[in-house]
Amino acid sequence: MTTTSTFKSEADRPAARRSWLSRWSDPDDTTLAVMLLTPAAILLGVMIVYPVSRLIYTSFLDLSLTSGLPARFAGLANFRQMPDDPVFWQATWNTVLITLITVPGSLLVGFALALLANLPFHMKWPVRLSLLIPWALPLSFAGLIFGWFFHSEYGVVNDVLNRIGLPGVIWFNSPRLAFAAICLAIIWKASSFMAMIILAGLQTIPRSLYEAADVDGAGRVRQFFEITLPLLKPTIVVALIFRTITALQTFDIPYMMTGGGPGTETATLAMYIHQNTVSFLDLGYGSALAVVMFGLSMLVTALYLRMIRGSGAAS
Amino acid sequence: MSAAVASALGSALSGKPLRAIAALILVVNGLFPALWILLTSFKTEAELTQKPITWLPHAATLRNYIQAFSDQPLLTFLFNSFMVALLSTALTLMVSVLAAYALARLNLRFRGLIMSVIIAVSTFPLVTLLVPLFETMRALNLLNSWTALVLPYTVLSLPVCTLVLTSFFEGIPRDLENAAMIDGCTRFGALFRVVVPLSAPGVFTAGILAFVNAWDEFLLALSFNSNPALRTLPVGIQLYQGEFAFPWPVISAALVVGIVPVAALIVMFQERVVSGLTAGGIKG
Repeated sequence: MTTTSTFKSEADRPAARRSWLSRWSDPDDTTLAVMLLTPAAILLGVMIVYPVSRLIYTSFLDLSLTSGLPARFAGLANFRQMPDDPVFWQATWNTVLITLITVPGSLLVGFALALLANLPFHMKWPVRLSLLIPWALPLSFAGLIFGWFFHSEYGVVNDVLNRIGLPGVIWFNSPRLAFAAICLAIIWKASSFMAMIILAGLQTIPRSLYEAADVDGAGRVRQFFEITLPLLKPTIVVALIFRTITALQTFDIPYMMTGGGPGTETATLAMYIHQNTVSFLDLGYGSALAVVMFGLSMLVTALYLRMIRGSGAAS
Repeated sequence: MSAAVASALGSALSGKPLRAIAALILVVNGLFPALWILLTSFKTEAELTQKPITWLPHAATLRNYIQAFSDQPLLTFLFNSFMVALLSTALTLMVSVLAAYALARLNLRFRGLIMSVIIAVSTFPLVTLLVPLFETMRALNLLNSWTALVLPYTVLSLPVCTLVLTSFFEGIPRDLENAAMIDGCTRFGALFRVVVPLSAPGVFTAGILAFVNAWDEFLLALSFNSNPALRTLPVGIQLYQGEFAFPWPVISAALVVGIVPVAALIVMFQERVVSGLTAGGIKG
């Protein structure tokens, strides 16, 4: 039974006699649904469906704004260019590597932080804030700050190394060390959000389960693996997939920390798309690269939708 | 921040060493970068290049803050960030309140499908919008304008806000609305006079999330608005560094100015932000 029919049955007001004005001001469920969802649909159409179609179309064009030539259909030329482009391979490899390192990394660190934050503190707000502030700190600021932490002369990391008797390291001259510094910064930034999600999950697990396990003589470690972990699995899966999609788009932190250097050793796919589009104004190739990125994240999204449909966790 | 450290010490004195250590780890991990920037913003340039480096400022100065505002148009950056964030938040809320109401209240036949679309959009990579939007904005002469950022930021926050608001609307009893409609309100009257006021905390939470998303965004702001008069804060910060010089104390002061508004929002409404983040479940 719908809400309208409880007090305004169709018999009282035959649809045929209703003026267009009353249809607008007091619509039935279907009309109302269409009216309410239309603004969102228009926005998504204009800002996602149209741009993505345009992106795919442009990826088949030879369109370089610096050449001054009009757009020309180029078939698969932009995509054929990729296999022979060493920077494309490097940027894609770095993106995949960042994803493979920082997603499990931020999960582990986030889990540890969540377990610590779940202890019975007298004051909750310092703990809550120390998880919220890293989340709210803009990624670009975090990149700038961590770049300064790893500065070879005046950075706090080398200062700590010196204080415990180790030699300082020139982080940004070596591709490997620069990459490690970037991954550390990303894990720091992402782990606090992970921790918040996991903490919320931890707090929904009923105390009684642990009490029962205590009675049965199960130790803390066994309780963790047999109660905590299985019950948190859905939460963790969702958090991991969102983290993966965000990691594939990594831009701000390496851009601010190394600018992709030394050379293009720490560039990511998003940085290469940005460079081709904004700096080189090669929109054709930039679009083709973005199509690759789009494909990668659609793959992860499809996986995600299948998982939540499977577990019935949607809605 | 020093209060946070003090409370960590406080629980240390209450005799639970494990808890005290845990609090210390959490607070240092979470707040050290922000604290370091705050300390650096009070140091002089001369002190910064001392070796070994100092942790606490020797001769604290506020000159960096004055310089942060005079070296670059920091107020303009703040204003741009604020207006872009505010406009996109308002637009996001208007659109998502309507959509969330439909999802929470009407028995839609395609509800599952619509929810899937919303979740799929929330995973949409913003990077792929870069090229077509750059092309379109350039053609429409909209590069270097607030509009170029307000529209994409609205789409960025729309899914999260819709999910948060849907779960809030579901928590409001239908009887209240029915009563209002029996008393002569239309559906829209009931929505705006009963449901929206009752879900004000939810609308507010969704608003904070949208605002922070817009305040933090960097890639599109960097690509679309390069004119200093229209740069948002994250992009404007880059102008402080010279070709060889990197005036860290001044940059730190500018960063502190940029962090304070959002940090203040979060300190004031921490519980709401946490509940919103976990209800919308997702972006970060």
